[in-house]
Amino acid sequence: MMRTRIGLALAGTTATLLALAGCSGDSSPLPGSTTAAAPGATAPAQAAAPDTSCNPRASLKPAGALPQPGHMPAGSYMAEIQKRGRLILGTSQDTLLFSSRNPFSGKVEGFDVDMGRQIAQAIFGDPGKIQIKVIAYDKRVSSAKDGSVDIVADTMTANCARWKDVNFSSIYYDAGQRVLVSKDSSAKSIDDLGGKKVCAASGSTSLDNIGKVKAKPIPVAKAAFGDCLVAFQQNEVDAISTDDTILAGMAAQDPYAKVVGLPFTKEPYGMAMSQAHPEFTKFVNAVLEQNRANGTWTATYKKWLGAFGAAPTPPAAEYRP
Amino acid sequence: MSTALVARPAPGAQVAAGPAGVTPAPRRRGLFRRVGNLRHTSPGRLELILGALITLGVLAGLLAGITGAATSSGTSDLGDRAQPLLVEAETIYSALADADTTAAQAFLAGGLEPAALTQRYNDDLERATTAISAASRLTTDGSEGAASVRTLSNGVARYSALVATARADNRQGLPVGSSYLSAASDLNRQTLLPQAQNLFRVAQQGVHDGYRNAASIVWAALLVLLIFVLAGALLLAQRYLSRTTHRTFNVPLVAATVLTVVLAIGTVFLLGSQNNHLDQADSAGSTPVAQLAEARILALRERGDEALTLAAHGSGSQYTTDFTDASGQLTKALGNEYFSDDLRGKHQAYLAAHEKVSSLDSGGDYDGAVGLAIGAPTSQTFEAVTAGIGSALDERKAAFTAEIGAAGRGLGLLAVLGPIAALAICVLAGMGIRARLREYR
Repeated sequence: MMRTRIGLALAGTTATLLALAGCSGDSSPLPGSTTAAAPGATAPAQAAAPDTSCNPRASLKPAGALPQPGHMPAGSYMAEIQKRGRLILGTSQDTLLFSSRNPFSGKVEGFDVDMGRQIAQAIFGDPGKIQIKVIAYDKRVSSAKDGSVDIVADTMTANCARWKDVNFSSIYYDAGQRVLVSKDSSAKSIDDLGGKKVCAASGSTSLDNIGKVKAKPIPVAKAAFGDCLVAFQQNEVDAISTDDTILAGMAAQDPYAKVVGLPFTKEPYGMAMSQAHPEFTKFVNAVLEQNRANGTWTATYKKWLGAFGAAPTPPAAEYRP
Repeated sequence: MSTALVARPAPGAQVAAGPAGVTPAPRRRGLFRRVGNLRHTSPGRLELILGALITLGVLAGLLAGITGAATSSGTSDLGDRAQPLLVEAETIYSALADADTTAAQAFLAGGLEPAALTQRYNDDLERATTAISAASRLTTDGSEGAASVRTLSNGVARYSALVATARADNRQGLPVGSSYLSAASDLNRQTLLPQAQNLFRVAQQGVHDGYRNAASIVWAALLVLLIFVLAGALLLAQRYLSRTTHRTFNVPLVAATVLTVVLAIGTVFLLGSQNNHLDQADSAGSTPVAQLAEARILALRERGDEALTLAAHGSGSQYTTDFTDASGQLTKALGNEYFSDDLRGKHQAYLAAHEKVSSLDSGGDYDGAVGLAIGAPTSQTFEAVTAGIGSALDERKAAFTAEIGAAGRGLGLLAVLGPIAALAICVLAGMGIRARLREYR
């Protein structure tokens, strides 16, 4: 809670400045990127021709075996983190199951947070050496890029537009966008929601995707997905559309909500890091590789997402040539 | 075409044709001449003097009534409406700011809301709603203040509904509760607090205007001037009488003069004392009340910013900036003569504790930072600051009430006794001069 919208005005200004400076804003169609269309027109343009200039699933290949925890190679970014004594993880605090504040303990926890803790485990040998920094959805790219956090694990879709500004780890989770409506709604999928208000967090690919739906629902942006659920419960919006797992977390909190339709997008989640230290991306990929093989990934899935059925095989790692 | 229009003579023709248009002039000239001619005979002169004295007396009586009523109602309006509105506005602000901070702290604590914080939040909300309904009685319909009060009373209802939902969710372990709390906090900080601040500003202007109305400087000056003119006229009349009638004293006129002097002394004393007390009420009452109230607002802003910085979990730089801004202003405000060094020391102690909280937070020890921020020692240090400001504020409110009470004393008397005294002066003047007039019959 309490990321206030006072900050939004500032955030907006910053985003404009960034756009003017020709660097990245956060929402996926990046202003000033090679996508030819103007920022306002990018969403429909993208709908016609999604950015396929790269394979977003392909990350940097790990270089050799993992170093021993507590013995990071000198001069590497991991050694810098080790010197600092904690890994700074950028995430949200209201995405149930992935990264949300446990109302009982006050701690932020979930699948994404555990991904971060596993990196801390690999660096320090202690998963607790982690500092959680809650960042707004539309700050995920810039926070990783400017180094204000070491790594972002926040239900973040790896796509080519974002790859231009940050490095992604190999894919650690495959999600797809669906839609949440009220229990008595007759809508079977997002295509039945033409002209209805559909909420998503600003700066998320989900919000862009709502704009691409042919039935033309009205996208409504909120600062975070928790705010979307508040708006939904207050009848300000008719539906919420985002990744299936996030929606499942919301439906679990509201017995008058249901998730409908098949996934209509592919949202491969990756952790975002600065491009200034490719060795760190390689290190993170090595950690993921190890955890896919030794069952840690499956255990983490069961811990947070086990209610949705048996753990699937972890997404296979793909690397750039 | 109507006959009325035809019958009406052209404006130009009227002067030439209509004798009716000419007659008033000679009549007026006749009246003036007759009044003017009075000065050529002794009884005529006496009649003129009597007429002048009675006119002055009646005017003085009228003005005494008006001035007494205006200063008295202005003073009581200041004490009963303008100043209480200022106090209510400050109460609304501090109660809402404290509710927001309390909610944020309860959130930081995690788990079930601590009972003490729930109690404090409930008290805050009760104080706010009571003050809002009191403020609505103190603002006039359609004024800017009334608009703020309306926004506030609607907003508080929405605010408490959002917080109630947040609590219910929290009780069931639903994380969406924190989003409700966030929505409530946004409503509070972005709509309610600015409106309360606006009401405070309107009330300050009201107090400022209240002092002007209470002093009713134009009426008071006219009254004093007229009483002196009346006294002068009485003295001149007596000098004339003693020269023309060879009687040294005219007892009724002497009595009228004495009464006028008493009225003059009484009026000057009452108005002077009122002004003196109004000055006191301003310099020792409402001015420091406004300054002290602002200090309390700043202190609550600091504490709220601290809790929100932590609750934002690393994305709250705007609160950090706001904290620095508020604490800079507060340090300056605490320089006020009505604050003790002890209080300034306590504020420094709180700032030191906050410094530690920030360094723990930025050093990665989030739990330590939260523990220190909402722990008993820091809470007690901070509460000592607000309690110190509160007691200084109460002292100043009491000083204001006392001074306004003193300022209003006797003004009602002026409104009643002033006209009566003036009437008595007229009667005495009439008696004194009519006795001389009778000698000419």
